[in-house]
Amino acid sequence: MRRERGSILLLMPAAVLVLLVLAAVAVDASLAFLGEREVANAAAAASNDAAGAALRDSDFYRQGRVVIDPALAEAVARRSVDARGERYLHDIHVDVETDGDRVRVIVSGRVDYLFAAAIPGAPRHADVQAAATATAERDG
Amino acid sequence: MKRRTLDERGQAAGFEVLPFGLLVLVLGTLLVANAWGVIDAKIAVTASAREAARVFVEAPTEREGAAAADRAAKEAIAGHGRDPERLVIERSGSFTRCGRVTFVVSYPVPTVQLPWIGGFGGSVITTKAVHSELVDPFRSGLPGSAACAP
Repeated sequence: MRRERGSILLLMPAAVLVLLVLAAVAVDASLAFLGEREVANAAAAASNDAAGAALRDSDFYRQGRVVIDPALAEAVARRSVDARGERYLHDIHVDVETDGDRVRVIVSGRVDYLFAAAIPGAPRHADVQAAATATAERDG
Repeated sequence: MKRRTLDERGQAAGFEVLPFGLLVLVLGTLLVANAWGVIDAKIAVTASAREAARVFVEAPTEREGAAAADRAAKEAIAGHGRDPERLVIERSGSFTRCGRVTFVVSYPVPTVQLPWIGGFGGSVITTKAVHSELVDPFRSGLPGSAACAP
């Protein structure tokens, strides 16, 4: 019969390190979540701005139709996203799609992880993306 | 006479890992707690800036908007369990049609000084969030033009 007595004391630092790595992964996941919320807010604000400020004047004043100008919508949406200036988000891309009175803004970006850089083989960043749609309506 | 034998053999090696493990645990926990505190505050100020900007651009007048935005920002930060009195709210932009109004909301987060690692930003990290909105170009009763320049 083999003896199985021994000291498990040596396993303690390893167990502690595992716990800390798990906590670090949780913090990095929260950072990615924060980035997702940020691009979602940016997309919502940009689509809202574009729906209000990018109406084609000729259609609205001559024919009473609400039509969103694609070029103006893109400019307004980009300016809205640029005005936020989040430092932890980079490689930000803004795509704008218009269809009559609807505008859809897709914002994507990249968030660098805080602790994952210290873990070999772990990803260094997370790609985040969000889309928001707004519809311009005539009041009354 | 009965002979007593005392066995004093044992293991001395390995015990030294206990303080080392404890040290790693304490330092690591504080580091993660600091990082989490900042992320949590960032979520709170983001919500605060968004609420302030939304309320401001929809207010009937600039004066009422400023008061309502201040109230909304403080309620939002209090809703996240933070002290509204420490919130700093800055507003820029004009309350005119097509005017872009930007709210910058910041909140100081105290952090713990860690041995060997040190503190971050003088033991206080200021989290900041920016949110900007356009005032409705077709609002009545406000100066400005309905044509928003790109």
